Amino acid sequence: MSETIKADLELNLQGLMCPLPVVKISQAIKNVPVGGIIEATATDPGVMADIPAWAKSTGNEMLKVEKEGKVIRFWVKRLK
Amino acid sequence: MEEQKTLVEQAKEELEKRFSRTLAVAASNLCVHCGLCVDQCHYFVATRDPHISPVAKAEQVRRVVKAEHDWLRRIFPWWTGAKELTEEDLDKWVEAAFRNCSMCQRCVVNCPLGVDTPLVLATARGVLTAVGKAPEILVQLADAAIAREENLEFFKDFYLEQIKELEAELQKKVGDPEARIPVDVEGARFLYVPLSGAHTIMPAAEIFYHAGESWTLSMFEAANYGIFLNDPVRSKRITERIIREAERLKVQEIIITECGHAYAVSRWEAPKWFKDQPWNFRVRSILEVMDEYIQTGRIQVDPARNPFSVTYHDSCNLGRNSGLFDEPRRILAACVEDFREMTPNRERNYCCGGGGGLVAIPEWQDIRLEAGKPKADQIRATGAEAVVASCDNCRHQLGEINEHYGLNVRVMGMAELVANAIVPKNGKK
Repeated sequence: MSETIKADLELNLQGLMCPLPVVKISQAIKNVPVGGIIEATATDPGVMADIPAWAKSTGNEMLKVEKEGKVIRFWVKRLK
Repeated sequence: MEEQKTLVEQAKEELEKRFSRTLAVAASNLCVHCGLCVDQCHYFVATRDPHISPVAKAEQVRRVVKAEHDWLRRIFPWWTGAKELTEEDLDKWVEAAFRNCSMCQRCVVNCPLGVDTPLVLATARGVLTAVGKAPEILVQLADAAIAREENLEFFKDFYLEQIKELEAELQKKVGDPEARIPVDVEGARFLYVPLSGAHTIMPAAEIFYHAGESWTLSMFEAANYGIFLNDPVRSKRITERIIREAERLKVQEIIITECGHAYAVSRWEAPKWFKDQPWNFRVRSILEVMDEYIQTGRIQVDPARNPFSVTYHDSCNLGRNSGLFDEPRRILAACVEDFREMTPNRERNYCCGGGGGLVAIPEWQDIRLEAGKPKADQIRATGAEAVVASCDNCRHQLGEINEHYGLNVRVMGMAELVANAIVPKNGKK
């Protein structure tokens, strides 16, 4: 559940389409400390593949994805 | 122990690797600095800054190429303008090649000698990528596409879940519980390659459904940010995923979604990159497929279903670089009642300002929006209520210039427009 992960930064990516969710996460990750977590919501289902792929290739970690109707909520942890 | 090479040495080595006869002749020696390209560039038209005209941008790279390869520079260095590369030059190249050029090719079309300025600047992009000076986000987006392939099992469930949800939407929309969005179907006629996200899957799925097409998706998307980096390793790797899927699924055609650079890469670059392997399929844009469906009567369309005025933006990669000019216009003639050409159009159309990967670089939004002004002016002059573009990058940029310049138009994709216009054979829509 969302209350079990404490986020350092919340991001609303709803309405944005590929590649903008990745672009925004890439920018935002610089604003949290190493070990910090971003909690984001998006509506473009493409994020379900794009964000984990981005996290993997940049050495960060996708902690969790949840779907609430059309809204996708996910948590990314900065690892470096 | 080998001494560490400086950044400049690495850059010169990379430039040397990329040096070709075309770069030397067609892109460098032929330029007589006549300046005719200057006001053909949307950056210059918008800013009136001569430093970001095509000739000025390319000259920064040409001078370094001449320092290495023009024998005249040994006798008359002042004549050739040759210059040794410095680290400061590399930073200027970032501005010239990544920030201030969208690789639209309009300067080439309007050059009396056909000087290929984008080739010069693309070479600079490749050099900058090799020495770690390319925009970070473009590298990340290219690497994410590769990571998707390397971790396919991890992403597969997410992807299939997404497709199942879209399939339920399609069934509701077309009123048929048997309507499918097929994935991984061996022997399908088409492998349709969308972008990430529903907006490039749903309208196409609806059109394919009404055409009774045999088609399939695979696990991969069409976007190829490696090409914006002019990085042959990354861009080939990203494209190869699709080529392998086409072979594995034994399809007859790869159909690329409405994405200019993805089409140009798959249609023009991939056959050169993978020339040693058999090509048992052809590559087309979904624009060509929709045109074929309408011309052959495979789908019926009613222009009255799009009751608003429409103008069309020729994506540089689909139009100027690939020659897809008539297909979109035939589709529009069939699908809308009030089509208004913007001026200039076809091969002389202005870039929207979002090409070359620029829509993905938020740090340069200011110049991107400024360089989009000629396009905004073109759209406004038509008085159209909607602007259609068959490229996702263009649509992002058009959406932003729509807001920035208060155009108050609807930005649409061609597939969306065609799906709106379809008259279903079962009469359910």
